[in-house]
Amino acid sequence: MTLDDLERRVSAAREEAEARGETFYPGASRIHLAAYPPRERWNDWVELDSRSWPERVEKRYMLVPTTCFNCESACGLLAYVDRDSLQVRKFEGNPEHPGSRGRNCAKGPATINQITDPDRILFPLKRAGARGEGRWERVSWDEALDDIAARIRACLEEERHEQVMYHVGRPGEDGYTTRMLAAWGVDGHNSHTNVCSSGARAGYHWWMGMDRPSPDHANADVILLVSSHLETGHYFNPHAQRIIEGKENGAKLIVLDTRLSNTATHADFWLSPYPGSEPSIFLAIASWMIRERRYDRDFVRRWWNWQEYMEAVHDEPEAPFERFEEALGEAYASYTFDFAAGESGIDADELRAVAEVVASAGTRLATHNWRSAGAGNLGGWQVARTLTLLNALLGALATEGGTFPSAWNKFTPRPPHLPHQHPRRWNDVLWPDEYPLALMEMSFLMPHLMRDQDAFVDVYFTRVYNPVWTNPDGFSWIEMLTDERRIGQHVAMTPTWNETAYFADYVLPMGHSSERHDLTSYEQYDGQWIAFRQPVLRAARTRMGESVSDTREVNPGEVWEENEFWIELTWRIDPDGSLGIRRFFESVEQPGEKMTVDEYYRWIFEHSVPGLPEAAAAEGLAPLEYMRRYGAFEITRKVGRVYEQAIPDNELEDVRIDEVGRVYSAAEPPPSPRAPGGTKIDADSEGRRRVGVRIDGEIVRGWPTPTGKLEFWSRTVHDWGWPELAVPTYVKSHVHRQKLDSDQLPLITTFRVPVQIHTRSANAKWLDEIAHTNPLWIHPTDAARLGIARTGDLVRVETEIGHFVLKAWITEGIRPGVLACSHHMGRWKPEGHAGQRIGMMTVALDRDGSRWGLTRRKGGGPFTSSDPDTLRVWWTDVGVHQNLTHPVHPDPVSGAHCWHQAVRVLPAQPGDAFGDVSVDTARARAVYETWLELTRPASRHSPDGTRRPWWMLRPVRPERSAYELPDREAVGA
Amino acid sequence: MPEPRSELMRGLAVFAEPPRDGHETVAAALGLPCVPDAAAYSDVFVFQLYPYASVHLGPEGMMGGGARDRVAGFWRAVGREPPAEPDHLAALLGLYAALDPPSASVESRALARGARRALLDEHLVPWVFLFLDRVEELAASTYGAWARLLRDALRAEVVGHAEATGAEPDDRVLSAHLRAAGELPDPRGEGSAALVTGLLAPARCGALLTRADLARIAGRLDLGLRAGERRYALEHLLAQDAPSVLEALARECRRQAALHEAHCTLLGHEGDVDASAPAFLSRRAIRSARLLESLAREASAELRPAAR
Repeated sequence: MTLDDLERRVSAAREEAEARGETFYPGASRIHLAAYPPRERWNDWVELDSRSWPERVEKRYMLVPTTCFNCESACGLLAYVDRDSLQVRKFEGNPEHPGSRGRNCAKGPATINQITDPDRILFPLKRAGARGEGRWERVSWDEALDDIAARIRACLEEERHEQVMYHVGRPGEDGYTTRMLAAWGVDGHNSHTNVCSSGARAGYHWWMGMDRPSPDHANADVILLVSSHLETGHYFNPHAQRIIEGKENGAKLIVLDTRLSNTATHADFWLSPYPGSEPSIFLAIASWMIRERRYDRDFVRRWWNWQEYMEAVHDEPEAPFERFEEALGEAYASYTFDFAAGESGIDADELRAVAEVVASAGTRLATHNWRSAGAGNLGGWQVARTLTLLNALLGALATEGGTFPSAWNKFTPRPPHLPHQHPRRWNDVLWPDEYPLALMEMSFLMPHLMRDQDAFVDVYFTRVYNPVWTNPDGFSWIEMLTDERRIGQHVAMTPTWNETAYFADYVLPMGHSSERHDLTSYEQYDGQWIAFRQPVLRAARTRMGESVSDTREVNPGEVWEENEFWIELTWRIDPDGSLGIRRFFESVEQPGEKMTVDEYYRWIFEHSVPGLPEAAAAEGLAPLEYMRRYGAFEITRKVGRVYEQAIPDNELEDVRIDEVGRVYSAAEPPPSPRAPGGTKIDADSEGRRRVGVRIDGEIVRGWPTPTGKLEFWSRTVHDWGWPELAVPTYVKSHVHRQKLDSDQLPLITTFRVPVQIHTRSANAKWLDEIAHTNPLWIHPTDAARLGIARTGDLVRVETEIGHFVLKAWITEGIRPGVLACSHHMGRWKPEGHAGQRIGMMTVALDRDGSRWGLTRRKGGGPFTSSDPDTLRVWWTDVGVHQNLTHPVHPDPVSGAHCWHQAVRVLPAQPGDAFGDVSVDTARARAVYETWLELTRPASRHSPDGTRRPWWMLRPVRPERSAYELPDREAVGA
Repeated sequence: MPEPRSELMRGLAVFAEPPRDGHETVAAALGLPCVPDAAAYSDVFVFQLYPYASVHLGPEGMMGGGARDRVAGFWRAVGREPPAEPDHLAALLGLYAALDPPSASVESRALARGARRALLDEHLVPWVFLFLDRVEELAASTYGAWARLLRDALRAEVVGHAEATGAEPDDRVLSAHLRAAGELPDPRGEGSAALVTGLLAPARCGALLTRADLARIAGRLDLGLRAGERRYALEHLLAQDAPSVLEALARECRRQAALHEAHCTLLGHEGDVDASAPAFLSRRAIRSARLLESLAREASAELRPAAR
C-alpha cells in the first residue's frame, strides 16, 4: 500500500468515526486539551481504579458537568459518577467550559471533600433552646417551610415588607433571587459586596456605568494588576491562565502588591507600595502621560465628557478640546513621580520606568483591581478610578488586549415570568440616608443601623453567608442576632456549619456545586458564555432513565437546592395566588401548576440563549439536554468596542439629539433575550428612550452613563456632596502615615491564600492540610525593633477595639513598616456546639456587658469519624479570628468597608494565649460613629430630593416614587 | 508539489502519545499490528528515546531551554498558540498536518507550504530520522512498524518539497538549532563533565545514546551499570574503564554516522551537504568519534605505566 493509499484510508476512517459523532483522534495531538476524555465518551468512561493497584481493575464512570461553587469564578467541573454505585468519586475540570477551559485550582477538585464531609449538615434543624445555645432538633422541610412562609406572608399582608431580608454571600444564579424578591415586592436584597468589591466597583461604575473590569489579558502587551491575581482573587483561575498566555506572548506584567506574593514573583515590575498610596502612583503615571502627550488624543476628545467638565468646573462651555488638554495638565501637574515616591516609598526612577512601559501598551493595556487596595483604604474606590484613567487615556477600553466593562463580556438570559412590579417601600437599613452613593447595601453596618433606626427584621435569611466571621465587628453581629427585639427569625441556609449558623433559628442544608442548579455567566475574557450548575446525580439518574422531580431525592440526607426551595416557599407564602406572587413561579406550559426547575431552564435555554438551540440541534439534542450534557455554552466572542457600534435604523424613530449629543428615539426597544438590568437612563421630556450618542456626526451606542460617555468628571459624585472627588484623584487612606501614631503600623488583612474560600472551606480536608493558619507577616527590622525574637513567637496585635494573639512570621516578604495577616483562618465553634471539626477550633465565648472574649479551648487535630482521614489530621493550629477585632470603617462615598487596620504590635503579654481575642463592642460603636461623621447624607446633599441617583445600579430597584426623600425622618425597617 | 499527507501525519502523531482507548481505530486505519500497551510505550518513549525536539537539538540534551523556545517561536510565527510542550513529536506532526488549510486562497496555501517546509527543515529533519532509526532498532512490532512508516512518510514530504522547488534557486540553510550547537567538548580544555554533557546531546556529538546503548557497552566490557539517569550511568562507566568505554562510544558514533549518511542519500542531499542536517550530523559524529578515539588512546597510555 502506498503512502497515498494510507492517507486516503486514514481519512476515510476519520470521516466514518466523525459521522458516528465520535472523535477519531482521542488525545493524539498536544495541540488541544487532549488529556480530557473526549466528550462523546462521557457517558461511559473507563479508568483503572487507583485503589486496586497493582491489579488492573476497570471502573466505569458517567461524567456529568457542573460548575464550581467555591468562588465566584464559576469554573467548569466534571463529576465522575461511578456507574455501579451512583456516587461521585472525583471532580476534574470541564474542557467544554469557555471560561476555565478545563483548568481548575485546588478548590474545584476539593468539592469531593465537601460533599463527603462527615460533619456536614444533612437535615433541616430548628433550635431547641435559646438562640445561640447550641441545642437543635431535626425538623421536616414541611415544618420549616410552613413556619417561615407564614411569617413572610404576615409581613406582606401587614405591609411590613422591609422586615424580610435576604443576605447573600457566595452568589448563586444571576438574577434568581432578585427576581424572587421583586415578585415578593420586598426591598430586602442584602449582599456581602460592601465588605468585598464595592470599592473597586464604585470606581468603575462612575467611569463607565458598569461596575466590573474584564481585562483581555491573553492579548495584552502590558498587564497591570492591583492584586495577587495570579494565585488568588476574583476569577483568578480563568484570569491567571490568560495572564500566563499574555506573558508567553511577550506581555509585560506589572504587579502592585505590598507583599511578595507568588504573583509578585512572576512580575516584570513588582511595586510594593505603602498601603493606600496606589492611586498616587497611577496619577503620577497619568500626569506624565499627559505632560508628554503619550495618550490617545482622539479617543479622549471623542469619548470623555470633557465638555461637561469644562462647563461645570471651569465655566467654559465653549472651550475647545485643546483648552481642556491644558486644564487637564494643570489638574494633574502636582502628581509627579517624586510625589508618588514620597507617598508610596517606591523610587521615582522605577515609577518612571513603569510609566514608560504602561504608555507603550497603547490600546493593549489590561488592568485589574477587585479587592486588594480598593477594599483596604478610605477612598479605595479611587484605586479603580485612577487605574481606569490610564486605560481611558490610552483608549484601551473594550479593545483587543485592553480592559472591557463587565456587561459586554457577560450574558444573563431572560427568565420566564419576569415580575413587572417593584418594591414600594425603601429599606433604610440597607440603603441609609448617610450613604446615598453607596454602590451596594450597607450590609456590614447592619447591627449599628438596626440600633440607630430601632429596626426589626422579622425573617432574616443568611444564605451561604457568615457575617459573624466574615464581617468586621463580629461580636456586634452576635449581639444583634441574639436580640429577638431585632431579629424575629433567623434562617441560615448553608451547606456547612458556620459561626453565623450557631445563632440561627433554622439551619437549612443547602447543596454544594454538584447538588444544586444555577445558571452563571462571568466576564473573564472578550466573549460571553453561560455555565450550568446542576445536581449531577439527578442528571445521571435521568440519563439512566429514571424520573427525578425533586433534587432531595438524589442529594445526601435531605440536602436541597435553592431554586426548588424558593419556588416551594413562594407557593406556601401565597398558596392561593391571592397575593399576586405565586404566578411568577407557575408553569408557563401548564398555568396554575408549579414551575419545575426543568421547565424553568428549558424555557431559558430555548428562548433566551442565542445559538444554543441550533448548537443542540446539530447534535440531535434539546437545549436543556445539551446543557445537562456539556455544562456550558459560548454565545459569542470578540465582542469589541460596543460603544462605537452604529445604531441600526430600526432603533431610530422620531429622533431627538440634545445639546450634549445624547440621542433619543421614539422607537420601541428591540426584543432582547437578556434579562433587564444595568443603569437606568431617563427618557427625554417627551418619553423617548436614549439609544446612543452622536460623536463626530455619527450616532453610536456609547456608554450607559448619564452623558453616554466616559465620565472623567462625575456629575453624580459632584452634585451629591463630593465635588472635590468628582475626577480621579488621591484620597489619603485612613492608614496614611500622617494619620498613625508613632507606635502604630498598618495591617493588611485582605489577602487570601490560593486554596481557601472565605469561610466555607474548613470542611475540605485537602485544602486545610495545605493551608490552615494565618501568622502575622512582619519584617525583620520591625520584629527586632518590637522585641520579637523569632518566627513562631506569640505577639499581641491591638486594634481600635481590642486585640488578638497570634504567631509571628518574620519575613522579608513584607514591606518594612507594614504588617499582614491573611483572611480565611481562625474558624471556631463554641464549646458544646455541634459543628465542623476539621479546620475549626473549639472556643469559649465570654461576655461582660460590652466586653467580649474568645478563648481557644481546643485546636484542630485528629478525630474519629466516618472518614478515616480525620484520624490523620496532624495540625492543631487553625489560625486566629482577627476580623472580630476590626471595627467598621465605611467609606463615606462608596460605602465599602476599608479593611486595613492601624495597629500596635507587642510581644504577648502575661496571660495571653494563642488565638485569644478580646473586644469591647462599645468602642466598636464609637468607631462607627466617628466614621459616620464623615458622611454627607442625602437628606442634606441630595440635589433633587431623592435618596439616591436613579441611574445608578441597584440589585433590586424599588418603584421610582420610593426614591423620594421622605418629608419626615425615615422610620426605617 | 503534491498535497501534504496531513491525515497520515495526524494519524501517525497518535502513536507518539501514551496509548489509550480509541487508538485501535487509528492503528487499524494505518495498518499497524496493534495498539502497544502502556509498558511498551514507557519503555520506548520514557526510558529510551525522548520524543522532544529540544532533547535532540538543544546543546544541553535536555527538555526545554532555548531549543524549545525556538520551536515555540515557530508556532507563534505561523499564528498559533504554542501548546504546553510545543516540541513534542506529536505536537510537531499535528502542527504539520494543521498547516494544510483545506479551503484557503492560493497565496495562503503557498504560505502554508513554505511553513511546512520550514517546519520540516528546522525542527524535524535535524533529529527525527535518527530518532526513528533508533526506535526501530530498540522497539518491537508496533513501534518498529510505526517508525518505519513515519520515516517513509516524512522522507516523502522532504523529497516532495525538494522536487517542487527543484528548478528554483535553493536558499536553504542549515537548521538554526544545529548552527547554534557547538561540537562535542574536548575534556582536556573544558573538563570531563562537559564531555559527558556533550555525549548526551545528539546535536553536539552527532549520535543518540540511549540507556540501552549504555547497557550494551557495559555488558560487552563486563562493567557494572549503575542504576540511574544516563549521565550518572555514563560517568560510572568511564570511571571503571575509561579507555574501553571511550572506544566503544567512538564505535557507536561511527555507526550512527553511517545512519545519517544513509538518510543523506535517501533525501537526495548529497549535492547540498552544507544545508543538509544528516550530512552535518554525520560529519559531527565522525569528529566526535575521532575525539573519543584520541581520548581513549591517551587514557590507555596513562594507564599503561601503572599496569607495569
